[in-house]
Amino acid sequence: MFEIPWNVIAMQFFFGIALGCIFVLLSSGMSIIFGLLDVVNFAHGTFAMLGAYAVFVVVSLTGNFFIGLVSAVIIVGIIGMFVEFILLKPLYGKDPLLPLLLTFGLSVAIPDLIKIIFGLIGKPVNYPEALSGIIALGPVIIPGYRLFIILFTLVAIISLWLFLKKSDLGMIIRASTRDSLMVQTLGINVSRIWTIGFAIGVGLAALAGAIAAPMMSATPDMGVDMTMTAFVVTVVGGLGSLGGAIVGGLLIGLVVAFTAFIAGEYSSVSMYFCMALILLLRPRGLFGEQGRE
Amino acid sequence: MVDNSTNTIQQLHAPPKPLVVYGAIFVLLFLPLVISTPLATEILIWAIFGMGFNLLLGYTGVLSFGHAAYFGLGAYSAGLAFRYLDAHLFVGIVAGILAPMILACFIGALAIRKRGVYFAMISLAFAQMLYFLALSPLKEITRGEDGLTHIPAMALFSFSLGKPLPLYYFVLVITAIMLYSTWRILQSPFGKLLQAFRENEERAKACGYNTTLVKFFSLVISAFYAGLAGALNTVYLGYVPLTTLFWLTSGTMVMMTILGGKGTFLGPLVGVGVFLFLQNTISLITPRWELFVGSIFVAIILLFPGGIMGTVEEKIAAYRMRRASK
Repeated sequence: MFEIPWNVIAMQFFFGIALGCIFVLLSSGMSIIFGLLDVVNFAHGTFAMLGAYAVFVVVSLTGNFFIGLVSAVIIVGIIGMFVEFILLKPLYGKDPLLPLLLTFGLSVAIPDLIKIIFGLIGKPVNYPEALSGIIALGPVIIPGYRLFIILFTLVAIISLWLFLKKSDLGMIIRASTRDSLMVQTLGINVSRIWTIGFAIGVGLAALAGAIAAPMMSATPDMGVDMTMTAFVVTVVGGLGSLGGAIVGGLLIGLVVAFTAFIAGEYSSVSMYFCMALILLLRPRGLFGEQGRE
Repeated sequence: MVDNSTNTIQQLHAPPKPLVVYGAIFVLLFLPLVISTPLATEILIWAIFGMGFNLLLGYTGVLSFGHAAYFGLGAYSAGLAFRYLDAHLFVGIVAGILAPMILACFIGALAIRKRGVYFAMISLAFAQMLYFLALSPLKEITRGEDGLTHIPAMALFSFSLGKPLPLYYFVLVITAIMLYSTWRILQSPFGKLLQAFRENEERAKACGYNTTLVKFFSLVISAFYAGLAGALNTVYLGYVPLTTLFWLTSGTMVMMTILGGKGTFLGPLVGVGVFLFLQNTISLITPRWELFVGSIFVAIILLFPGGIMGTVEEKIAAYRMRRASK
């Protein structure tokens, strides 16, 4: 076995963390939606795909990537509000599988709509100029954009955490996650909280899609893979747990990055093996509450 | 009046009359006269797949979003046996049935205890695992993206199945057997248990039944149907496309079953027929048929969650109720 220099390993580690950060954004949105509405959002990756296209449209209009990021979240968040309000609300209180099936229908229909509007071929999104360079930390060479992903995710997750922990709305969301009936009894319109929660969840998905867009360009069919990744991270981290989404996302990012480095052809399979392993050893996921699964 | 209404509810959930089973088989005898024979064959194959899926989703209430794993594994097992081992028709089909059943045992043991949505996610993830395995690490034997080609044409007792019409009637015989078996399963104590769980799992548990075990068996039986359909698909196409393992294959099955009416006896047959007919018709007009099919599916979930046969059965029950109360 030949020696792999440690700085190459450090670089792979770094790539894995950057990839994991995208997964963290994706799955924390899924986790919020599941915790609050008890809905497994099959169209989660589809919303991420919409985020990538939103960033493409806004960047080609304004030329500014950061305006693109913010507007992607807002645009997709508003679309999410409409979806929840018109399509999902009528299904609450019925068979719990119906919302899953409905969002599945969306994940089949929406990519085709995007193909009609934007064509079959993916749309490239340029790296923002300030971040396109390379940063050298001693012998470890890091693309600037990946470092940006990590720092940006850190800021986003900390603000999300502060929002949920400290703000009034955040506290209402957490309370509704635990016991929506009680919150309703206290005179709060829970139905509106659900709409907001869904918008936040798909907004996070859009952020993941938008931030990934310069690396993989926006394609109509990118959504399914992202949904699948979010599922795997959720199973690994534990259903409905924000901490699980963070740790699970980073773990899966590292696993994918290192298998891609060591045995390229197994890179897509590796996360599913990881999931099977977790199911065997710790069925409720790393951070899952007992009994929720 | 009270007696009458309970009667109607019992009728609604009662297994279909024998006439329905024989009538359906009789109608299928003449299907190639109405639509093209290959399309008719495809409908039968997917109907077998659908019957098994309906047993799990419609009658047991377990949603598997990864049934492509069983269908595709059945297709590949049969295809590999035909291509590399020169296996006899029936040997290949048996291989195509056994492999998915073993897989179902494995997935069931790992995940069938989970609650509904969780099981749906896990089954989908396992199906993706198989898809990516066949795509790249195992491409030496599965031929990756090209699919498994060069499968010899099959013959049954020196009777070639290479022609569309003999193949159709061969598949029809198997469909008839499976239709009849499904009917018998639903009437058996086991079938009654499945439906009891779907209606109220807690109560069934309280009655002392091991719900996990019954759900497990329901999954394995369902894999039997899916594997059989997959193997027949290999015989029908003469090759195994990688898409047999793709998530959209699972999704298509879900859409067909919901469209036809989950938990109704003829639902899968009707759903498969209508879906494939729609798909064939719409794709003549536009390549973007998924937009239409997806939207129709969303509308059905919102407006007619019972699907075609479910809505029809409801209407019949309501009509009977009105007549009885007069």
